[in-house]
Amino acid sequence: MTDTAPTLASGGPQRPRAQLVATGFACAACSMMMAGALGLYMARRHASGPHPGHDWLNGLAVPNPQMVYALLTLVASMVTAHWALWASRRRDNAHAWTAIATTIVLGLGFINMVMYSLNRMGLEIGAGEYQNLAFATTGLALAIVVVGLVYLGLMGLRSLGGSVGQQGSTALGAAVFFWDFAALAWAATWYTVYVVK
Amino acid sequence: MSENTTATTSRGVPVEDPTPFGWLTTADHKRTGRLFIISSMLYLVLGVFLDLLVRLDLTSATDFVSLGSDGFAQGFTFSRETLTLLFLIPAFLGVAIYMVPLQIGAPNLAFPRAATASFWSWQVSGVVLIGAYLGNGGPYGGWANGVDLHLLALGGLVVSLLLGSIAVATTVMTMRSPGLYLDATPPFAWSALVSASMLVVSLPVLLGQIGILYIDHRYGRVFLAGNYGIWERIDWIHRTPQLFIYVVPILGVTAEIVLATAKRRVFEPLAMYFTLGLVGLFGFGAWANFSVTGEGADIIDGLEGVVLVGLYAGAFLGTAGLLGLLGLALIQNRKMPKITTSVLAALGAGTLILFGALYGLIGAAADWLEIAGRGNDGNPQLRMTTWVTGQQSVLIYGAGLLGLLAAVHWWAPKIWGRQLNDLLGMLSFLVIGAGALLAFLGPALSGLFTEQPDFVYADPNATANYASWVDDNGAETFSVIGVAGVVILLGGVGLLLLNLLISVGMKKGVTAGEDPWSAQSPEWMLPSPPPIGEPDELPTLVSGTPLLDAAEAEEASV
Repeated sequence: MTDTAPTLASGGPQRPRAQLVATGFACAACSMMMAGALGLYMARRHASGPHPGHDWLNGLAVPNPQMVYALLTLVASMVTAHWALWASRRRDNAHAWTAIATTIVLGLGFINMVMYSLNRMGLEIGAGEYQNLAFATTGLALAIVVVGLVYLGLMGLRSLGGSVGQQGSTALGAAVFFWDFAALAWAATWYTVYVVK
Repeated sequence: MSENTTATTSRGVPVEDPTPFGWLTTADHKRTGRLFIISSMLYLVLGVFLDLLVRLDLTSATDFVSLGSDGFAQGFTFSRETLTLLFLIPAFLGVAIYMVPLQIGAPNLAFPRAATASFWSWQVSGVVLIGAYLGNGGPYGGWANGVDLHLLALGGLVVSLLLGSIAVATTVMTMRSPGLYLDATPPFAWSALVSASMLVVSLPVLLGQIGILYIDHRYGRVFLAGNYGIWERIDWIHRTPQLFIYVVPILGVTAEIVLATAKRRVFEPLAMYFTLGLVGLFGFGAWANFSVTGEGADIIDGLEGVVLVGLYAGAFLGTAGLLGLLGLALIQNRKMPKITTSVLAALGAGTLILFGALYGLIGAAADWLEIAGRGNDGNPQLRMTTWVTGQQSVLIYGAGLLGLLAAVHWWAPKIWGRQLNDLLGMLSFLVIGAGALLAFLGPALSGLFTEQPDFVYADPNATANYASWVDDNGAETFSVIGVAGVVILLGGVGLLLLNLLISVGMKKGVTAGEDPWSAQSPEWMLPSPPPIGEPDELPTLVSGTPLLDAAEAEEASV
């Protein structure tokens, strides 16, 4: 060691919020990814012709009730995700497990509803510009939801599998934060592609 | 490479595997950093060579003399992607992955395995990208599946670089030594945070676009005309102002080296952090031009012109402010600093970034204000001519290579335990500097005086599109100047690699102590190189200049 230098000490654990901060960065990255995709969608929509008066959807009809139910399911899953976090902070394993399981079931239900809606709509890839753009933007938003679901499941198992302490809650908190973001990303996609169209 | 090994760590961290297999599964930021640095240097050779072939093609408007009419467009896109996604970004990401934890007193990177995954997925994506091009599958290529593969590889590269960037940014945000606040971090660590954060919010835009382009190209090509629409939408990542985000760490390297050489703190640290942030901030928003509007040559119209002028002006002011602060530190020292390769290269790189911003500002203002009929009556905007190649040469070849030369020479003792040969380093500096100057001058003058097109999105393989400048005086001569510059530059890169081979690979370099430069930042308190694996002891820091603090305290006590 350099004589004049301060001494080196045994390194203790560093600040514990790394996972939350990294999740924040990941959310920022995903939001810009969606901004890029939806921006391109809107640019192409704008260039396609006047609205109304131009059949941008190529005769497709968006099943609005099903899409709204899907969104409401996602909102409900956000509530249960926060329930899981609330319970884990109180070291209440039974409630936390129940809430995480409910969130995952609701998340899977959401994906199922969206797939059903797209099938009902007859959205066929390669059939037209709207179809391709809707397929790609919806796919990217669904990918974020799937990542959020896996993240939530893993962090749930990790934090509740052992003892639910402060660190476990932080890990689960990061996953819940991402899940909230995934719901927001889907809402933006739904509004742009299926409401404003 | 010289490495010490530790058998155990005091905090129950798995011991690093010292065998070559350990490089695959390493959780040590130093190994990952080295992998990134060396690999990106090798990709640099490929990128420069491809650029040479492209520039050779532009020496004639009536014929493609090296790559041919089928290969020119792909050579162009390949060289740009190689120089940015395989060299410039990963090279400084590698330096950040290696140095940042050492600079802030962290035991490791925040997510070391994510950083390793970032490197290997980047490497695999890079190989897939090369494979796609070799199979005629780049943008404008004839192999449809290869074009899809190219898009997937691009997506893989972006995800990999994002993963590494998030690891670096999170490390600076959360892993600093308990007493080291963000406004006291060493300048390079701060610049790495700025650059990584801006990459995190800019590169994913490309990812979203790639998702759409992939779906459309693979299924029906409904709005992409063949695959001709791809490059137009992704070209923004290789141009300014986005390039400014990539060069922010170079300004951090410059600040680090100049302040250590001057043996002074910057007189107003917050101003330094602010100026570095400003350059990164004004690199943001490039994607809004080409990618979203997709309108190509009309981008300077109306509001976009003001925005571009504003972005360049911000980057210029940020760089000028930083260099001004560093200049004051040098003046305060009142002694002639020791001139080494790293000092010269750092000052050169910083100055070239300033010049690059000014050059961009002039070009954007000329286009916006329609000076000399730019953008009117068939006159192309400067941004559509080889004027823009000149700016890329300044920032990638000039600032990028000199910045890397400075970083490698400065931190070689900490990375490999040996100092690089300074004489060879000086020679590299001169050759790279001269090469970059010519590589800039040729296309810049040609764009200005002959309106030689930089690239034609509609059909870049048609020589007729380039024929408009064939009768103009000097266009071909200017192109030859650019070619000469790239050839010289290739020699400079060779010298740098030769220096590394001799000094590090063959262990001919002087073995370095802990602090061979009498520097001031925390990494110089650690052994050279620090042992692989997490250290048993970490510095407890309250300042980014602990060695300078200690030296001053010692001076005061005497």
